[in-house]
Amino acid sequence: MKYILNYIRKEEWSPYVAGVLLGLVGIVAVWVSNNLLGASGAFENLAGMIGKALVPAAFDNMYFNFIMPPGITWGVLLLVGVFFGGMLGAATSGTLLWGKKGAANSDAQWKRIFGPQVWKRWVLAFIGAIILEYAAGIAGGCTSGLAISGGMLLAPAAFLFIMGMFASGILTALIIYRKNY
Amino acid sequence: MTNIVLPLIFGVFFGFSLNKAGLTKYNKIVNVFRFTDLAVLKFMMTALVVAMSGLYALRGLGLLTFPNVPATYIVGNLVGGLIFGVGMALTGY
Repeated sequence: MKYILNYIRKEEWSPYVAGVLLGLVGIVAVWVSNNLLGASGAFENLAGMIGKALVPAAFDNMYFNFIMPPGITWGVLLLVGVFFGGMLGAATSGTLLWGKKGAANSDAQWKRIFGPQVWKRWVLAFIGAIILEYAAGIAGGCTSGLAISGGMLLAPAAFLFIMGMFASGILTALIIYRKNY
Repeated sequence: MTNIVLPLIFGVFFGFSLNKAGLTKYNKIVNVFRFTDLAVLKFMMTALVVAMSGLYALRGLGLLTFPNVPATYIVGNLVGGLIFGVGMALTGY
């Protein structure tokens, strides 16, 4: 018991242990509520809800009516849980940087490559997130919603997505890191 | 009620496992593309193998039915993945 408690307090688990935990959560989610874990869809649900309220005509299309129904969906609530789950994980290992100085740009490797400026971190995160969300919209899911949740149902889409993701990810890393790759 | 509480609980466990695997860190995500730290790959594949064997076993026993399987449209999935990788390597999401 003590061993387990100490393991929970560790900052970094073996990825195999964490992977088993996520796999079990994925099984229970399908079993209990017949839903898949996913992250990127929540943005479209929320955007659709706000859009329908502000400019109903522009959002009255196939996509927002049938593929991504607007509203506070299962996925939106899941994402709220993910936020607090991540915080809980950091809190148990004593690495929660919420509100602390330098928390917005705390990654040593990031600072070495791009510089110590906090605004750079925000700008790059914002641009990258737009790319991510747009791509997830095209592919029909993100790393969690398509690659993991689709993969565990053996959907071919998931494996195509993983192939593409790694191909361009490696290329982008090559371009960013150049000599340091 | 369960429709509100359950996703929140699943989400907490989801976020917790992501955090403990280190996937909330920029260096973990980008280093998998540099082949210097394969934690992301190990984590993803372990989760996949555990979940797929569990789900197919439970379906074989007739205990559950699968939800809508994500649609396969080859060009869309592949192009989406290609753009996604750029964002992933850039932000460390």
